[in-house]
Amino acid sequence: MRYVIVGASAAGVSAAETLRQRDPAAEIVVISDERLVYSRPLLSYYLAGHLSEEGLLYRPRDFFERLGLTLVLDRATALDLAKSQVEVEHGPPVPYDKLLLATGASARFPRAEGIKKDGVFGLRHLSDVEGILPRLSEVKKAVVLGAGLVGLKAAAGLREHGVEVTMLVSSRQVLSQMLDTSSAQVFQDLFEQNGVPTVTGVKPTAILGKDRIEGVETASGEVFPCQLVMVGKGVDPNLELTEGTPIKVEYGALVDQYLATSVENVYAAGDVVQAMDAVRGESWINALWPCAVEQGRIAALNMMGEKVAYRGSTRMNSVQFFSLPVISAGLAVLTPGPLGGRSGEHDSTIEDRPSPTLYWKVFLKDDTIVGFVVMGDIERAGLLKILMEKRVNVSQIRDDLLGRRLDLGFLLPFIAENRERFVEPEMQELVETVGV
Amino acid sequence: MERLFCDPRKCVGCHACEIACAVEHSQSKQLWSVILNGETVRPRRAVQVVGREPFRAIQAGRAVSLGCHHCNPAPCVDACISGAMHKEKGETICTVSRCVGCWMCVMACPYGAITPLVTALKCDLCPDRAGREGRARYACVEACPTGALVVGTFEEFRQILAQPVESPFVQGAITPA
Repeated sequence: MRYVIVGASAAGVSAAETLRQRDPAAEIVVISDERLVYSRPLLSYYLAGHLSEEGLLYRPRDFFERLGLTLVLDRATALDLAKSQVEVEHGPPVPYDKLLLATGASARFPRAEGIKKDGVFGLRHLSDVEGILPRLSEVKKAVVLGAGLVGLKAAAGLREHGVEVTMLVSSRQVLSQMLDTSSAQVFQDLFEQNGVPTVTGVKPTAILGKDRIEGVETASGEVFPCQLVMVGKGVDPNLELTEGTPIKVEYGALVDQYLATSVENVYAAGDVVQAMDAVRGESWINALWPCAVEQGRIAALNMMGEKVAYRGSTRMNSVQFFSLPVISAGLAVLTPGPLGGRSGEHDSTIEDRPSPTLYWKVFLKDDTIVGFVVMGDIERAGLLKILMEKRVNVSQIRDDLLGRRLDLGFLLPFIAENRERFVEPEMQELVETVGV
Repeated sequence: MERLFCDPRKCVGCHACEIACAVEHSQSKQLWSVILNGETVRPRRAVQVVGREPFRAIQAGRAVSLGCHHCNPAPCVDACISGAMHKEKGETICTVSRCVGCWMCVMACPYGAITPLVTALKCDLCPDRAGREGRARYACVEACPTGALVVGTFEEFRQILAQPVESPFVQGAITPA
């Protein structure tokens, strides 16, 4: 059996490891245009100077050799489904028996004049940071377009180098895909206090300057002078390979519960996939590291014929800025998502805010948790997340969901009562333990 | 794989396991030294009360000592963006030198078993006691005065659960708040 994986980030690496673990003899080919296996979410730490390049490598340098994988260091350009092969830019086509599309996503750049200019960067590739770092000696001011997670991480990273950073945001708040208005304001204020002002409700229309970036112009004609522009407005799936093929695509590549695409022997995992969202109850793109790793593993198992169903992804994020941690998951945002459609669907909320930076808010619909934001004290966030993912009716424990009132011990009888949903072996063991 | 289990019938909620765990993960591994030097140490397991209103009827007044289940597959390992959290022969281990403190693992752990404190802290199965035998292999097990904490496979623990607890003294009897 010859397995071919396109992409060597979270989903591709996880799939390759799973395949190798289960089948020491399988022929596994990975097509990637990057030689190193590195963590994209860590790029902001590298930009900030908190990590070296070595620190980005979450697998050994000789990952491919160590696992006996064949690396095709090239860019996949097209699929030839009739011949079951992947065409690459420079070398001969790569034939497959089972194919995994783990092509990931790319930084979404706004439509502004000159957005392709040298000096405008995303924060997606090692080459982005390698392009930014040598310039910083000549950068006094920078503008970050967008205040999503990556935008804020970019801004915080540049600030570490003493750069004067301004964030230009089209929406009314920072982290609009992650936080409710009230918690978002805390982070906007925190960035302001740390020398990164945010300008909301502005639309960049042009990147100014000829050979060098000189500023960003907005729709209202205002100019923000700068020598560097970074973009953090989310990502779009890399769907080049599915173009002109019968592989069904909506926002991302559509897959069934086994992460198989609509074409035989072709699977997809990671940021390129539009898979079932367990909370929304519809397929959705959750371009997130944990989802990609899990999808890569499950796709690999199915490619080997094991028939393992994917239980669905959930939107979730965890981040810490200036020592303040925040975790949010599910439908905790009130603004429409980038894909349009439904969001902010809840019929009640419960919240507690003992101090400005200590905040818990849970969003419910029909007595099930559909989202939450936890800021400051985050230790019990995982319990909220599992309650949300299991779609259990929490009406009996509503008053115990916030802060330190929620702990696993308290939940055990509740989990026992809903044992048919908590199917993980470790959960079942706990149920048996307290049931004696 | 060998794991740790707590029999809630025998747990009296004394927190000895927590203290032993915190001390085991201190610089000196001595309680008096931790106190005198003001060293900040945290236990990687927690004694919690099983149930509370509205669930008192089912399991009121029982304590249980909870920590990492070393699950497989482990959601915290999937979520780790730095390669710090990983599996080693079934054990879920965090290489703290690689941890950047993003708390993705805290978000992912369905048991709330990871403490965010500069780096992710969790049960590491006492690597410094690797050579020891029996109850002394793990600090929490060694410290448990009632034998509630045991080591083994779940199958072995299930056999313990099937046996009645003899002494009424060890029937956990703390009253939840």
